[in-house]
Amino acid sequence: MVKKITKNVGSAERVISLALGAYLTYRALRNLRYPSLPALAAGGYLMMRGGLGYCPISRWLGKKDTHNPAINLKAVMTVNKPRREVYAYWRTLANLPSFMAHLKAVTESDEGQSHWVIEMPGLGGRIEWDAEIVKDEPNQLIGWQSVEGAAIKNAGKVEFHDAPRGGTEVRVVFSYHPPAGGFGTGVAKLLNPVFEGVLENEIFDFKRVIEAGEIPTTKGQPAGKRTGKFKLI
Amino acid sequence: MRALCWNGIRDLNVERVDDPKLLNPRDAIVKVTMSSVCGSDLHLINGFVPSMQAGDIIGHEFIGEVVEIGAEVHKLVVGDRVVVVSVIGCGECEYCKEERWSMCDNSNPNGVIQKKIYQYPTAAFFGYSHLFGGYAGSHAEYIRVPFADHGAFKIPEDIPDEKAVFVSDGVPTGYIAAEMADIKPGDIVAVWGAGGVGQMAIQCAYHMGAERVIAIDALDYRLAAAATYSKAEVLNYRDTDVLEALKEATGGRGPDCCIDAVGMEANSTGVEHYYDRTKQFLKLETDRPAALRQAIAACRKGGTVAVVGVYAGFADKIPMGLFFNKGLTMRGGQMQGQRHVPLLFDLIREGRIDPGFMLTHPMSLSDGSRAYELFNSREDGCIRAVLTP
Repeated sequence: MVKKITKNVGSAERVISLALGAYLTYRALRNLRYPSLPALAAGGYLMMRGGLGYCPISRWLGKKDTHNPAINLKAVMTVNKPRREVYAYWRTLANLPSFMAHLKAVTESDEGQSHWVIEMPGLGGRIEWDAEIVKDEPNQLIGWQSVEGAAIKNAGKVEFHDAPRGGTEVRVVFSYHPPAGGFGTGVAKLLNPVFEGVLENEIFDFKRVIEAGEIPTTKGQPAGKRTGKFKLI
Repeated sequence: MRALCWNGIRDLNVERVDDPKLLNPRDAIVKVTMSSVCGSDLHLINGFVPSMQAGDIIGHEFIGEVVEIGAEVHKLVVGDRVVVVSVIGCGECEYCKEERWSMCDNSNPNGVIQKKIYQYPTAAFFGYSHLFGGYAGSHAEYIRVPFADHGAFKIPEDIPDEKAVFVSDGVPTGYIAAEMADIKPGDIVAVWGAGGVGQMAIQCAYHMGAERVIAIDALDYRLAAAATYSKAEVLNYRDTDVLEALKEATGGRGPDCCIDAVGMEANSTGVEHYYDRTKQFLKLETDRPAALRQAIAACRKGGTVAVVGVYAGFADKIPMGLFFNKGLTMRGGQMQGQRHVPLLFDLIREGRIDPGFMLTHPMSLSDGSRAYELFNSREDGCIRAVLTP
């Protein structure tokens, strides 16, 4: 009995895989006496992936089909400040870079239109897009999304609830579509924990900024010679 | 400046490093005048605490002089002689507001990473691994103190440096041990570990009304100090059956309150010790909980076990059946000096607590590595070596 497999390699990628696989196999077998086994294995794998349209490695990375799904990041925390104040700080979009370190600036024009600029850490690049606030329920909810044609298609919302013993529960959801097509999704999935870490840190920084008035840091403090020795566990 | 840096397991070096500078508005820079070794540092040095990096400046129990303050520091002025508590608290989160400073939500810059292991972030400490914030420690000429208004306390003039330095960590840890043990007048208290923290727990227990305090250790010189300076009755577990001796001493009831001031590198005798050593070596447990096991076993029915010895991860063969069926209460945690320091100053002035005897080895910062060797191997009657830059 043959189990039906769900294809997770797009057509363009299948063609490339087949071609590259065939080339590698040809190279590996050019010298029949001493075939290069790694090249043969890689070539075979690529041809299999191209032929079947199914790639176990992509699947392991989280790509289950040929769609290009949005990636969702969630964070939740309780902030020891009244809901009104927490909402107002977040609603003033120009405040966002005070805790989202990678945001260079957010400028708000009228009618919920805003312009976002981020600097890619370490890459030197700069990405800008326009977004609009699509939902604004004072002291409860803010929802936004990028407008048509944004470099990174993204959307998000923040919800504010009273915590039982004072303070505000803040729930944040970000979703974005990675820029490149199918392969981009795989990479984004791979990087997702990193993005999630960065975002989670920055969301926590929101709590730190609004509660403690500053973001605790050790960047710039003295240390001895960093030889790279590290005690993991 | 010069600073004592961790470079690997049992590998410390005094190195030249940059002077610290203000990084945030609520920071202060303190010129260190005395910085003590602490038993908890030995877990870093012996390699039982994760996330240490070569180059980390260690040390967290210190006094000094304020030399620079940030724009948002309001209670301190340059020139103040201060003791700085080892735990760092922002003063504004729910936990700090409730005076539970060691649980601060915000002070640990690596809180998000720490959450992956501990589920929730804890407060940061000076010089105590990156999981606990990665802040540079106090075995240095200068140190940056975040949230200085909350962590630094002006030392009353009539308290000498030799006593004040331990108000940074050792005394408040002993105090919170006694507090968590819920000591009531007339109680009999047993304290495992007669080092600095254990002895402070003994003195605080008497202050809270304990009738008798029994100290348990393997080192005769520490037991002698506990008897002399802290007025404890003493048991050496190397030559005594501790559980039997405690029953004998308490009319068969067992101590009302048991304090573990030993933690994750507890030693024990016989098979138990080899069992824990092996499991710890194989990473099948991170912590050797021999003192905790004995405290749970020894405690009277309905009594309280308080844990201030440091644990980092997982410990095996915790006698849950005894804990459950005897109806015990167990509490643990790091100290919360921000809440206790003013009171501790008063108790020291009144002579009810006296940590001065702990300073057995005043040494220079340059001898930092040697100081820890001495302390780690318990040579020469060492209770605490205190480094002066």
